[in-house]
Parts: sequence; C-alpha cells; structure tokens
Amino acid sequence: MSKFLLEAKELRKTYHLGRVKVPVLRGASFTLEQGEWVAILGSSGSGKSTLLHLLGLLDECDVDSGGVWFDGKPVADLKFSARNAYRNQSVGFVFQFYHLLPELSVLENALLPNMVNAGMNWFSKRAQAQQHATELLDAFGLSHRLTHRPAELSGGERQRVAIARALANQPRVLLADEPTGNLDTKTGGEILDLIAAKHRKGLSIAMVTHDPAVAARADRVVKLVDGCVAQ
Amino acid sequence: MYPVQLANRYLTSRIIPLIAVAAVALCVALVVIVVSVMSGFLDMLRASGRTLMGDVVISYPIRGIPWYEQLIDTIEKLPEAQAATPLIDTYGLVRMPYPDGSEKEVVTANVWGIEPQSFNRVTDFSKALYWKPPASPEAAASMSPDDLRLKLSDKILNDGLNLVKSDTGEPGLVLGMHVSIANERMRNGSYRPRYPQWFMPKQSVTLTLVPISAKGTIAEPRERVFPVVNEFKSGVYQIDKNRVMISLDEAQKLLRMDAGTLYDMQAPPNADGSLPVLGTSPAKVSKILVRAKPGVTPDQLQTAVFAAYEKFAYDVAADPSKVIKAPRVDSMNILTWEQHLRDLIAPVEKEREMMRILFSIVYLVCAGLVLSIFWAIVQEKTRDVGILRSVGASRFGILWIFLQYGLVIGAIGGLCGVGLGWLVIHNINFIHETIGQDAPAWSYIASFIIAAISFAMSVRGMTTGVVLSTLLWSVLGFTLALVGVGLMLHRGTLIWDPSVYYFATIPDQVDWFTAIITWCGAVIFSVLGASIPAAKAADIHPVRALRYE
Repeated sequence: MSKFLLEAKELRKTYHLGRVKVPVLRGASFTLEQGEWVAILGSSGSGKSTLLHLLGLLDECDVDSGGVWFDGKPVADLKFSARNAYRNQSVGFVFQFYHLLPELSVLENALLPNMVNAGMNWFSKRAQAQQHATELLDAFGLSHRLTHRPAELSGGERQRVAIARALANQPRVLLADEPTGNLDTKTGGEILDLIAAKHRKGLSIAMVTHDPAVAARADRVVKLVDGCVAQ
Repeated sequence: MYPVQLANRYLTSRIIPLIAVAAVALCVALVVIVVSVMSGFLDMLRASGRTLMGDVVISYPIRGIPWYEQLIDTIEKLPEAQAATPLIDTYGLVRMPYPDGSEKEVVTANVWGIEPQSFNRVTDFSKALYWKPPASPEAAASMSPDDLRLKLSDKILNDGLNLVKSDTGEPGLVLGMHVSIANERMRNGSYRPRYPQWFMPKQSVTLTLVPISAKGTIAEPRERVFPVVNEFKSGVYQIDKNRVMISLDEAQKLLRMDAGTLYDMQAPPNADGSLPVLGTSPAKVSKILVRAKPGVTPDQLQTAVFAAYEKFAYDVAADPSKVIKAPRVDSMNILTWEQHLRDLIAPVEKEREMMRILFSIVYLVCAGLVLSIFWAIVQEKTRDVGILRSVGASRFGILWIFLQYGLVIGAIGGLCGVGLGWLVIHNINFIHETIGQDAPAWSYIASFIIAAISFAMSVRGMTTGVVLSTLLWSVLGFTLALVGVGLMLHRGTLIWDPSVYYFATIPDQVDWFTAIITWCGAVIFSVLGASIPAAKAADIHPVRALRYE
C-alpha cells in the first residue's frame, strides 16, 4: 500500500494545437500525503494547472507517459462511472474564476455535488445534504446569501461558495487552482484562512499558485519549471 | 435530479427558450390550421354527400329501372335498409322570371324528379328546405329581425315538402338556393331576396326536359310551367347552384318514362287498325337511393342491396306478365354514396394527404430551429458543462439536461401551437368575414399613432446613443406604419370562394387526430433537433469546457 494519498509519477503530456506540438509536462512527479497541504508553485505556462487537472481527472486525454495513483490505485484504470465518482467524492475542485452556475442560487451551487451523487434518490437525501451545505455556508459567513445568485456576490463570496461546493461531499483531497488569483490581498488571505482551517481538520490539499506568499502557507512547496519539478 | 433542475432553470431564466417555443408553436399551428380546414372540408363534403344521396345508390341512367316499386318493396324489407326512394336524375333548362321583358334568363339545371315523402325519409330533404318558419323561439331569437323567414307560415314548408302549390293544386318546383340570382347571402349566412319582387316562391319558372329513348336518341323536348314552391340549401355550393326538384310523376311524364301500353310493332294491325297490345310498359326511374338503418355501414347495405336486386331481377324475369324485364345485376351500378361521389371526394382526399406530406417539412423546420437555438445555447453553456463534469456529472447527465430542454420546448411549443390553431380555426369564419370587409378607421389610426410613438422612442434612442433600442423602435415604427397603410388601403378580400370550394362557410372544426400527430411530431423533432447539440455538449472535454471563452 502506497503511503501517498495522491501520487503522480513521471508525467509527460503534450498538447497538439493543430500541427504544433506543445510539451507541457516533461516527466513531472508529485506526491501528496494524507492531511498534507502541498503548493505547486510555478510561472505561467510551467504546467502546474495541467498537473492539477491530471491529478483530478479533469483532463481525460491520455498522457504521453507516466500516471496518477489515488490511494495506491492507478486512476487510468477507472471506468467512466468510477471517474465521475472520483471527481464527485474523492476530490473537490476550486478554480481561480470560481466557476459557479449563474442560474443556481448560492445554496443550490453548494449542493450541486450532492445532487449529482444522489441521482434519482435526491429527494430522500436532500434534507441531510441541505443541512450540511447550510452549515458549511454559515461557517463561511454566507448564511445571509443562500438564495442569492452568483452575480449578486462579491469575488470573495463567490470563492467561498466555490470552496463550499468543493467540500460538499467531504472529499479527501481539495485541488485548488489559483484560488486567490482573482482576489485582492485581504480577501485572498481570508480565503486561505478558510482553506487552512479545513486543512487543520485533516483535509489534504494540492494548491496551484504563482504567488510565493500564498505558497508559503502550505506544508510543502513543489516548484514546477517548464514541465519539470525543480526541487 | 440535477438535469431536471438545471433544464428547468435554463428554461425559466432566459429568453431564448421562449423564442424556440414560439417558433415551434407557429410551425404546429400552421399544420393544424391547414390540415384541419382540409379535413373539415372533406368531412362536410362527405356529410353533405350522404345527406343528399342516402347510403347506397342504384342507378341505370338512360333506359331506367322498370318495376321499381317492386324493387323498393324488396329493399325496404331488408333488415339493413331503413328506407328507399325512386329518383329521376336528368338535365334540363329553366327559364327564369327575370329580367323584365320578353328576354328571360335561361339556366341549365340538374333536374331531380323525386317522390317527396320517401325522398325525405332517405335524405332529410325537409331540413334542406330554406324558406320555413323558425323551428323554435330560440331559433327565431337567433335570426336577424329583418329575416324574411320570421314572417313565413308552415304552408310554404308543406308546399315544398309535397312539391305542390296548395292554393291551386298545381305541381310545384323547388330550386337550389343559388340557381337563381334572386337571393342575396347576408354576412350571417342567411338569405334575402335581392329585390322584394324577386322572392322566388312567389314566382313561376318554365322547365324544359329532353326525353331520351332506350336507344339513346333524343325525342322532342317537353316543357312545363312550374310555380316555385320553395328553395333548398344543401350547403354544397355546386348542388345549390345547379339542382332543381320536381315531383317524380311530372319528371316521368316530361321524360316519357311513365307507364304506358306496350304495342307489338312487328305484328300486323288489328281489324280496327290498332296494333296488338303486348303488355304494359312500366314507369321507370334512373336511380334508387337507399338509406341504411342506424349501425349498418354503407358497405354492408351495398352487399344486401346487391343480393336483393339479383332476386328482384330473377323474379321479374320469371314473371310472364312482365314483358319488360329488369336489367341484369351485372349491368347495374350499385354503389355506396362515397363510391358514387368518388370523383368529387378522391381529389380532395389526395389534396389533403399532399398537404400533410408537404407540411411535414414543417417538422424539419422545427428540428432546424431547435437545433440552431440549442447550438447557440450549448455554446453559451459550455463552461457550465465543464463545471458539471468537474463535480462528477456524467456525459449522459449532460445529454439528458439538453434533451429535456428540447422535450419541454417541443411539448410546450406544440401545445401552444395546437391552442393557437384551435383559436384560429374556431374563429376562421369571423376572421374571413373581417378580412372581407374594409378595415375600420380606428384600426389604421391606432396603427399610425403607435407607429408615431415608436418613431419618437427611436429618436430618443438615437439621442441617448442606444443602438438596440433605436433599431427595435424603428423596426416597430416602420412595421406599424406599413400595417396602417395596408389597413387604410384594404377594401375587403374574398379568399374562400364558394364557387371553388363548394361550401359557403369555411370548416371550423379542429382535426384532433392531426393536431395530436403534429404535437407528437413537434416533440419528437424538437428532441431530435436538441440531440446533436446535446451530444456535442456531452462530448466536451471538461478542461476545454472550463477554459472556453
């Protein structure tokens, strides 16, 4: 059994833009232990977001070589439904631009992973999920915003909703892609405080950032340069 | 449940679905209106045909059917038959009482010699007679106060039913409502004499018929003056324009089809110079109309009548006292009313089917509209698809969101279309009447006023620099100005010409079978139209969807 919760080994990935081949990852490896917060630091185009997407199975295209293991098992072997379940329950995503559904309210956005997970049993599971999501949003200071649409929220509030959504199904890993990149320093700091609080309760975090100050909040920093781990 | 919730939100929070619903509704309404009018037209044709012909028609036109009374007795004893009536169907000339002077108008007419009582049992003739007092106080209340029928007594109805002018005992004639030019049709469907002195039941006409021998040669024409005792309105314009009715006896006399003595032309004369008598030449008719008992189909009755005629022909052939024999069954035309009117009904049926097929293209329009609208929606919602995939939504879940979207648009649009179709069909005669009149002054004045307001708003848009507002108000202003000019110049247009479409009114019943089929088609093709963009959405790579700009 691997001691790592999430592991990437020698990942090589090339994007094909028409006839042009763009190598993004050139043998990048990464490990995340249970309860660890790792920051992936790198400049723009270094491949840090691609690495995060491969870790979270958001990028379903084949890698050139290497692989990702979750809890010691290769995720490449997962079938379609298991990949969906992995994204739904094992990991939670937080994006730089929040990516909330504009037609849904704050509460509904936060409940989205629960709704996807429950399928046709949603009505029987709704009350419990709603209670959990409300508590989470309350803890994030959004209890007065439950029925608001994302367009009615500030950037910091939107990101808090996005974090609440990512944690809705109590995943083991939070994958955050520049979660403060679109926020001012003060609001960014508040968001990091929220993430840190969840980390203290045992949540494993892989966070992509280009800001060394943000990376400094993590337990460990992995620096990515031109698709390779630098340290 | 998220596909249902999201499809619901997408439907209720944007204007694009409303445009798609409106497009589907218009397509469905178009099909429902056109096919319903065609179906109604066909139904009216059939109903009128059956009312006028009974269920089965036996015909032997030139030589006529001898011993028809015996045949009718045989038929009326059939368990399938309710009543039968003899008929002479021929053509003649009617000399009208107008204009003043010696040069009167002469019209060609389809002349029916009928036995009024039995004819009424087979064809509801009494209902077709137009000049009669209202049947009830309610019917009287629904008539216009100046309707001439309010002043009539039962005498005119009875004269028409008996084909006799009761004052004088003369045999009378009933004209189709449009045979003469004396009747003017009012907007409410009633008639009144064009001039008071032109009330036809107070006039007489001269009918000329041409007897035709069994060998097909024409004998000397015979004419007779008939007082007009009533007029009838079948609802079928071609019949009301051409047909007149006289009593069977008079028709037989004029056409030399009445009973007479049959002489042996080959034998030497008797001592007194007369020819030896062979027997009796019976009176003849050219047709016998038969009505089925309730629950008996025309086809069942036709089979029974065919067998009855065979027996009748056999009995006549076996009777030595009957010198004139009945025609063999295989030389007779024994047809259901639908077969008899096949030449009239078949082209209309074909036209309706052609319309159905042609208008099925509308389904493709539906699918194309939904496809293009959904293509735009999927483009707009690409990032949402990425978000959903990032929280674990399956490809099928994404597909189902957009298919549901299409399903709901098809279902609601289809329902609205059926509703709109019903509304138009239900009021189609009112709409036609309105189009047939000059537009009221208030309508174009209102159009011009609203157009002026729109132009003012457009100028306001220009001054504030808002292009969309300026454009929309300008388009509205120009459209309403054009509508206003159109209304001002409108002088009434006759679209439904009864001389072309047989009936004086446009059918106003929805063909529900077509409506349901069209609704189903709209739903299916809307889902089909949505399926390609939905599949495209389901196939979007999560990362690319999230990065979509």
